Amino acid sequence: MDQISLIAASGMRANLQSLDLLANNMANTSTNGYKGDSEFHTVFVSEAADESDVEPTTLPMIERHWTDFSQGTLEPTSNPLDFGLTGKGFFAVQGPSGTLYTRNGSFQMSSSGTLNTRDGYPLLDQNGQPLKLLKPGAPVVVSPDGTVQQDGQPVGKLQFVDFKEPGALLKHGGNYFENSTGAKPVTPDSATVAQGKVETSNVNAAHGAVRLVNVMRQFEVMQKAISIANEMGREAIEQVAKIS
Amino acid sequence: MIRALFSAASGMNAQQTNLENIANNIANANTTGFKARRAQFQDLLYQNMIQPGAAASQQSTVPTGLQLGLGTRAVSNEVNFAQGDFSETDNPLDVVIQGHGFFQIRQTNGDLAYTKAGSFHLSATGQLVDGSGNLLDPPITIPANAISTTIAADGTVSFTLPGQPAAQQAGQIQLANFPNPAGLNSLGSNLYAQTDASGAPVVGAPGSSDGLGSLLQGYLEQSNVSIVQEFVNMIVSQRAYEANSKVVKAADDMYQQANNLKQ
Repeated sequence: MDQISLIAASGMRANLQSLDLLANNMANTSTNGYKGDSEFHTVFVSEAADESDVEPTTLPMIERHWTDFSQGTLEPTSNPLDFGLTGKGFFAVQGPSGTLYTRNGSFQMSSSGTLNTRDGYPLLDQNGQPLKLLKPGAPVVVSPDGTVQQDGQPVGKLQFVDFKEPGALLKHGGNYFENSTGAKPVTPDSATVAQGKVETSNVNAAHGAVRLVNVMRQFEVMQKAISIANEMGREAIEQVAKIS
Repeated sequence: MIRALFSAASGMNAQQTNLENIANNIANANTTGFKARRAQFQDLLYQNMIQPGAAASQQSTVPTGLQLGLGTRAVSNEVNFAQGDFSETDNPLDVVIQGHGFFQIRQTNGDLAYTKAGSFHLSATGQLVDGSGNLLDPPITIPANAISTTIAADGTVSFTLPGQPAAQQAGQIQLANFPNPAGLNSLGSNLYAQTDASGAPVVGAPGSSDGLGSLLQGYLEQSNVSIVQEFVNMIVSQRAYEANSKVVKAADDMYQQANNLKQ
């Protein structure tokens, strides 16, 4: 394959991955606590670049994604078991194989007295243990700093965790993040809880639409580049090698 | 490419579920004791294209990797048990629960069901029944010749008979509450049924220390659907549907262009 087609084809592949990311963002505009993904473009440089007299092959590609952890809008729901998180940090919940982190603060009371996510994973307190309510069924009051009370009696304090590099968190699906790199969690200083509110997705549909146009047009340009390269190749074969 | 199409399709499916839920809420805006439901969504699995920590070159590793998500799904539509407004009816058999708790209704198949709709009637035998004719549990019978019926805040039902100045007690209405009311199963006709998720009912007298609400006679609890909120949700849902359909169109266009590479 000639250089132009190779580079353009690599660009097209990167654009398809951009579209995949974008499609997932757009599909999750109503997912509480969802954080949008963006792609990180880079250039692949062949090993030949180390040898000064060889023209290196450079290809555009997507090296990684990065997650936009900016705050989503807090929407009032009048459900006392909806905890909206503002500021940095995550709720910690006990997943089936280790702790998971989430910004989706929509919990349900279990009959055993823990506060569970939709998947039944209990919410953890600041000691890393599932938070146990004193009286299942009785109203729960959460203050902004995460202190939980029932009938004026203290129950415990919610655990908020953050990571120095939130990029180390992998998306787990189901609104959860998992700590993939073994990075040490830190306690965020700015996290507060708003009871009766949920944090909505931080994906902006208008922004997504603009990016969609961008991806489509870029793809079109690359496709044109390949067509032109093909044309040039054909011309070269038909015209240059013509014996008149 | 195919990923993008299916992600967008999952988004459209989710918004359709959202709209169906909104439609049911709006349809029940005037249903006594109706509690609105709110659809909840989750992102689906992620495909790891590049593992984090993989070697980017001999000296460096990829810090986060590339994860491509596969869309969304509707995971639950939980009931919002916020109190609805009270409207005065002056009907002595209309009762609202101020606070937590459900009336217990004995269905015709013998199972207990639970309701917030306190609009009761008298059956042919003088027993308190709900709008569908199911008995209130425990059963309370009011004699046909009673001239007035009183339901106290603690659920005590009493009546007075002609020529007798002293009121007589007919029984006490009991309320049930659940550890997780959002886990109750809607049966239709304003009734809910117990599930494993809701936990076992805690039964007690209204206004008792178990966190059960007290009763108020002569009022009905309106539906807690906020029409304004539902309309706003409808607009958001419609726009999200539209955005996802645009992604389908874009993916289709790009697919077509890729196909046109070979002429």
